[in-house]
Amino acid sequence: MTLPRLIFVTGKGGSGKSTAAAALALALSRRHPTTLAGLGRGRSALRLLGAGMNGAGRPVRVRENLEALELSARAELEAFIERIVPIKIIARRMLRSGTFGYVTAALPGLEAFLMLERLRIMAADCALNDRRLVIDAPASGSALELLSVAAGVGGIAPAGTLNRLAGAVESFLRDEARFGVMLTVRPEEMALREALETAAVLREQLRIRCVGAILNGASRARFSGAELRALAPLRAQAGLALRRNAIAEGTVRARAGLRAAGLAVVELPMLFRPELAGRELEDLGGRLEAGLLGR
Amino acid sequence: MNAPFDPGRHRLLVCLGPGGVGKTTLSAAFAVHAAAHAAVVDVMTVDPAPRLLDLFGLDGASPGPHTVALNGISGPEKSGVHPPRLRAHRLDPKHTFDALVRRHAPSPAACGAILENRIYHNLSSALSGVADYMAMEQLLELHSDPGSGFIVLDTPPAGEALDFLAAPQRLLRLLNSRALALLGAPRRLMGGRFKLADAAARAALSAFDRVTGLHLLRDVREFVAGFEGMYAGFAERAERAQALLRAPETVIVVVTTPESERARQAIEFVDALKRAALRTGAIVVNRTTPVTPDAAELARAGLPAALKRKAARNAGDFAALRRRETRALAELAAGIAPEMRILSTPDLGREPGSLADLAEIGRGLEVLRP
Repeated sequence: MTLPRLIFVTGKGGSGKSTAAAALALALSRRHPTTLAGLGRGRSALRLLGAGMNGAGRPVRVRENLEALELSARAELEAFIERIVPIKIIARRMLRSGTFGYVTAALPGLEAFLMLERLRIMAADCALNDRRLVIDAPASGSALELLSVAAGVGGIAPAGTLNRLAGAVESFLRDEARFGVMLTVRPEEMALREALETAAVLREQLRIRCVGAILNGASRARFSGAELRALAPLRAQAGLALRRNAIAEGTVRARAGLRAAGLAVVELPMLFRPELAGRELEDLGGRLEAGLLGR
Repeated sequence: MNAPFDPGRHRLLVCLGPGGVGKTTLSAAFAVHAAAHAAVVDVMTVDPAPRLLDLFGLDGASPGPHTVALNGISGPEKSGVHPPRLRAHRLDPKHTFDALVRRHAPSPAACGAILENRIYHNLSSALSGVADYMAMEQLLELHSDPGSGFIVLDTPPAGEALDFLAAPQRLLRLLNSRALALLGAPRRLMGGRFKLADAAARAALSAFDRVTGLHLLRDVREFVAGFEGMYAGFAERAERAQALLRAPETVIVVVTTPESERARQAIEFVDALKRAALRTGAIVVNRTTPVTPDAAELARAGLPAALKRKAARNAGDFAALRRRETRALAELAAGIAPEMRILSTPDLGREPGSLADLAEIGRGLEVLRP
């Protein structure tokens, strides 16, 4: 599969976005220099990789070929103001003024839009040295709002700087080589439904490429009807067997549903391990590497 | 009853927590649990997806309220108390905001000017802060309805605990800020607090407006001017919302799951609430894995050896999960004040899809730390 320069990882809350984003960044970093960016404060993918943050916007080296950074909407707004207001003292005064904060809060999606603009610039920079970008994004509802913001800004600002940027951001989001969304799904009905809805909005309304889906917490092991009947007298054991079957059945349904929607599916196994740390993430990264990049 | 609330003593239960921990499901389960104990219950969800209504088998098209049939769920009816009743409500921020503007606008013209305003359109549909504020507004409305009983409030997934609870104050601060003066709202609204330094900021703002091409300041000005005369009404509502959250009949519950990362987020939530002088009533750890069954029992059972091995392996897998959870729970317990109660609700091993499932979650409430 040819992956876009930037992969934007989103899914339902609790579907393992951060784990998947961290594992994906590990996988890519085995082949290319890679940057993992958390959108918004305290996105967990960075912590999972043990990246201590030094404040928004500056990358931290996690290991060979992999760096991580945190992006904040506020920092993007500040950078933007400093860019368009050339006189530093005025720019600083504007940023300090509480009033300005309120007005920008009332401006529809301005901060979100500037975040997308930042992603566009980062992707362009990364193209210079074949660097890959993985984004640990917010849950799908907020993510779709974020991705629809460019069109809205274009409409609201009929001319001027923002209008020009809006055009550039929109074509970036729609460029299959530069931008793509990876959905995370758990083998559960609600998570599957949300992923399918997100994929439909991306395809039909936003015309943004959906790279595929990472099916997190998959399991194939299952007990047959006869085995379940034999276990029935041992209630607790039977309960756990049913639990295992529910995961396996959810996996089958989710895989089928995602494939029916035309999505490429990579499965990550449910990790029945007493710890979920670096070694486990490396394992998941290895599986993603095999599933997405080929051996 | 084993619950972080008591419908006889409490009037409002607020469920807070990071995204994906099952707040909506748990709110529904708490509501069913309360109703099963012969209480009059209203449950309000602010989750944009109509999940809660799905769970109650209701159509998601209207905001409700929907009365939920409690077939086979209610406990024994006590004489002299209301018969149990459960209503589900869904938040509709746009509708609530419009209603609020209509109620507080000093004149039909002012009302029309606001409802037509570009900023208003964006504020009321795009900004999640407004949805939060409107949830509080709808909550106040429900709370003052004499027909309402014990109210369970689900909240939108938030990165930070206060995103939701602080929404009324944020809107109030905007209306009360010097933004109004800067943007040309009438002086009398500002109580004459206009400063010379503001003139510079005003110039900078209009430069910003020109450069960006937004040409938005006129709309902002109209918008804030439109709120003249409505400020008192908003302020009063926001104050009441704050008072309600701190009332002794209100209990705030932080919901999390037994995972290390979520435990850490829950600790942050509790800390943030504390800084805002809001008391967390309890932490509820949702979806805990059941206790590992006795291996000796399996060994003794007259089952084929292959099945025994398979079952033992399966039990071992879940035991590993449980060890991971136990560690996360220890991190949670260590991170919060020792007097804070911690409860848990069981993972059903399937997605709750019926009232009976919700009732089972409520019955499975367990006190992990009193």
